[in-house]
Amino acid sequence: MNRALRRRIVNGLFVTACSAATLLALGALALILWSLVGKGIGGLDLAVFTQDQPAPGSPGGLRNAIAGSLMMCGIAMVIAVVVGILAGTWLAEYGGRTPYGHVVRFLNDVLLSAPSILVGLFVYELLVRPFHGFSGYAGAVALAFLATPIVTRTTEDILNLQPNTLREAGMALGASRAFVIRKIIWRAAGAGLLTGGLLGFARISGETAPLLFTSLGNQFFNANMTQPTASLPTTIFQFALSAYDDWQRLAWVGALLIAAAVLTINIIGRFLARETHRS
Amino acid sequence: MNDVAIAVPTEEQVMNGPPPGNLMLEARKLDFFYGKNQALFGVDLPVERNRITALIGPSGCGKSTLLRALNRIYDLYPGQRAEGRILLDGEDILSGRGGGAREGDRRMSDAANDLARLRARVGMVFQKPTPFPMSIYDNVAFGVRLYHRKSRAEMDEIVERSLRRAALWDEVKDKLQTSGLGLSGGQQQRLCVARGIAVEPEVLLLDEPASALDPISTAKLEATLIELKQDFTIVIVTHNLQQAARLSDYTGFMYLGRMVEFSPTEELFERPGLQRTRDYVTGRFG
Repeated sequence: MNRALRRRIVNGLFVTACSAATLLALGALALILWSLVGKGIGGLDLAVFTQDQPAPGSPGGLRNAIAGSLMMCGIAMVIAVVVGILAGTWLAEYGGRTPYGHVVRFLNDVLLSAPSILVGLFVYELLVRPFHGFSGYAGAVALAFLATPIVTRTTEDILNLQPNTLREAGMALGASRAFVIRKIIWRAAGAGLLTGGLLGFARISGETAPLLFTSLGNQFFNANMTQPTASLPTTIFQFALSAYDDWQRLAWVGALLIAAAVLTINIIGRFLARETHRS
Repeated sequence: MNDVAIAVPTEEQVMNGPPPGNLMLEARKLDFFYGKNQALFGVDLPVERNRITALIGPSGCGKSTLLRALNRIYDLYPGQRAEGRILLDGEDILSGRGGGAREGDRRMSDAANDLARLRARVGMVFQKPTPFPMSIYDNVAFGVRLYHRKSRAEMDEIVERSLRRAALWDEVKDKLQTSGLGLSGGQQQRLCVARGIAVEPEVLLLDEPASALDPISTAKLEATLIELKQDFTIVIVTHNLQQAARLSDYTGFMYLGRMVEFSPTEELFERPGLQRTRDYVTGRFG
């Protein structure tokens, strides 16, 4: 067999294998979205956003769960963005090549893939037991533990993409290192940093396990986060496991809401990241 | 004939610099190290006030390294160090208080201040244009704001004057508040020149500033530099021999980390003292 023919065959096989793998992944995604839309769209109405979760057999919505999720994710993201951007900046600009820097990066990677239920248990010991009760704040902290490593990682990656000549140009004018980072590098990396935040947000908005041990869930609307707080994922978990048709319908609606939100956030994130690379 | 060039020992050197009375900047017996690798070997460089001094030589000969030593921008990178003397207006910038300090070393904040002051006196323009991600106006004002609190009117005046001196004013005067990233490559490079001279440095270092520019932009930049010579002392690294011949008053030819020949530009190009220099400027090697 001559070389050219062999090469064509190997190439053909490889392209086929790659296409098949891509198709498999996209097919699974399409199936999930298809069944979510099919089973969730029917129950989607205004009441979902204006009414709290019902007792079995009566009408209701998911207002308490949506509000709880937004509050906990919001606080989690404030923590994650502050800690993550500072940590990522330190790794990229200061200590990333020191032994301590390597340890920090390694531990961050470990956290990045830590089972979320363990994070939930950890925060249970950290905040729930000492304060004798489940609370929305504990849930927010658990979610922050999951989002922080994502923000840290993307921050470091994005800052490493900024050309060194930009740093040198700032220093060459006599600016201090910290000033160059704040006024030039962060600004140049702005859209990328935002993307990191959005990816972190997308990751935690569907998390259930860390909330089971921390915020627990609440069937009533509740703006006081020192109390157990409802969230979409825990409500879906509870409703989907129930025996009642109307609760299961609401669970599908909630799942559709989360999937739509995560998809939208991811698309916005990708779009912003592309814009950054272009400029 | 080629054998003759190879037979010239690298230690052979012709120094035909300006008279010592009017030097703005001077490197003496400068060694430079990237970690364990030595990149410069006892380099001498006399830079006369209000003149353009060009550094030429094949890739990797150390001309950019020498330039980056002159404002100590290498301090950003651990492991890089210079030994010898660099005199700025007679004052050694390698010893002094800034001597052993490293950027970011909080205990050495006095030294860091000295470095910041040094860089305000010795400006730098890089090979690739480096506009900051902000408006044209803020780009030019950036360095000035580091040192001085100016009124809006004073700052307007500084920005306009700097952009005029960099021959960019007419092209950007109606869009000062738009992003500097939106300019063409040549305009961005002149913006960087404007930003560099806005802080009124004494010396301007340019590292192959025209290598990413088209011929028209290059011509504009060169005209700008010749204008600026009245107020500033300029050191330029270039791969373009014609550019060195057109622009500079003195030229240093470097090879393998050594200053091989330093002479008035006309002399270096027309009557080089060494065979190796002759071979390089006539395009026979390099």
